[in-house]
Amino acid sequence: MRILNFARRNFKEIIRDPLSIIFAIILPIFLLFIFQQFDIPNDSYKIENFTPGIIIFGFSVITLFTSTLVSKDRTTSFLVRLCISPMDQIDFILGYILSIIPLIILQNILFFIVAILLGLTFNINIIFTILISIIISILFITMGIIIGSIFTEKSSSGISSIIVQFVCFTSEIYFPKEILGKTFSKICELLPFESCAKIIRGVLNNNLELISSRNIIVFCIYLIVIFIIAVLIFKKRMLSDNK
Amino acid sequence: MYAIETKKLTKVFKDKTAVNNIDLNIKKGEIFALLGTNGAGKTTMIKMLSTLILPSSGSIKINGLDIVKNKQKIKEIINISPQETSIALNLSVRENLEFMAGVYQIKNKEEKINELIKTFKLEKVLNQKAKTLSGGWQRKVSIAISLINNPEILFLDEPTLGLDVIARKELWKIIEELRGKITIILTTHYMQEAESLSDRVGIISNGSLIRVGTAKELIKISGEKNFEDAFVSLATGGKL
Repeated sequence: MRILNFARRNFKEIIRDPLSIIFAIILPIFLLFIFQQFDIPNDSYKIENFTPGIIIFGFSVITLFTSTLVSKDRTTSFLVRLCISPMDQIDFILGYILSIIPLIILQNILFFIVAILLGLTFNINIIFTILISIIISILFITMGIIIGSIFTEKSSSGISSIIVQFVCFTSEIYFPKEILGKTFSKICELLPFESCAKIIRGVLNNNLELISSRNIIVFCIYLIVIFIIAVLIFKKRMLSDNK
Repeated sequence: MYAIETKKLTKVFKDKTAVNNIDLNIKKGEIFALLGTNGAGKTTMIKMLSTLILPSSGSIKINGLDIVKNKQKIKEIINISPQETSIALNLSVRENLEFMAGVYQIKNKEEKINELIKTFKLEKVLNQKAKTLSGGWQRKVSIAISLINNPEILFLDEPTLGLDVIARKELWKIIEELRGKITIILTTHYMQEAESLSDRVGIISNGSLIRVGTAKELIKISGEKNFEDAFVSLATGGKL
């Protein structure tokens, strides 16, 4: 109940800051639209491949969004009050995650509406993709919680912007990883973003063979590790902020 | 049984001792003021008593419960109004009250919220977003929120800092009304506030508790004519 109560409060804070929502939704939609206006001779830009890339890009903006929300909370004594209350770290982390899920769903629905208008065929896989996306988004939200727990509001936006760029380069949104050589390709495989994009691409295109066991293992390991780190860092920062 | 009981309470940050070996007993229903110069250790003391940070050594008992072993139980019976803005700024006053009622899982939620609205005369700002309120109103809402769980012990960290004289007097009146019902520990820089509101005053200097007593007792001990001079004399060891 405390988790839902905290999530409700966060959600209200989010929807009352329309600029962030516009940034998290309009920017990816703009990219989706603009890149479909050119006939780029690369499979990455086909609507069925580019839409999953845009979903991952949208999630990286969510990382930025979450980090700002958490760091903003930390700058006021509001969290001091909550730390003295019976709420624990899990209540905080799950409260932040749950409050952002509606935004993820909204993002996905709007992305797919635009993608369908741009030529994507509507089928049941879109629904499965949205469901899988919600799970994948948890990784990006928890990354935002970690950044917001460590850095100040201003630094959080800076660090998160680097993450956005990093995601663009390593998730094969704009180009195949092999294009930049073996080392870069290996780095992409070790990071979770390419795996996230591939899982979404595989589900959307009903081509599960595209998803390797490495993709699933890499994603799961990152999700679990990042979640645990988020809980630990949030707890540690709460104590050190209050010294 | 005391509301608060500390024994050899110490907090060390790296090489700085913020609170040093403090023995303190505060009775139930008492209004106790912690006075001290900036950096004396008042806020660190409040943070330890309110479960926010753990002591380096020594012990704290809240209503007989050990703060390390019974942290969660203690959290249910205390509350705080911190020094700075401590309300959700994008939420309205009512939403803030509802949110905190949810945090403490208050059963008779509506009844409690209406009681606080009445006590703090919040009717006219009820639907206003907290960020649009003046400092005085924000402080009032912050204190109202801190009473949502009917705390047995309430910590007020500089409750009237930066408020105009009317807002300050209004808050004093509210704190006065709580006398005897709740144990209140307040920190303040205003001597008049400590003198007129508190049953007893504790003076902290360089992390140590120098004196504890009523305002009158402290004036007598120091040999000064008024409370402010008594505080200066005791806090500086008569060097000023």
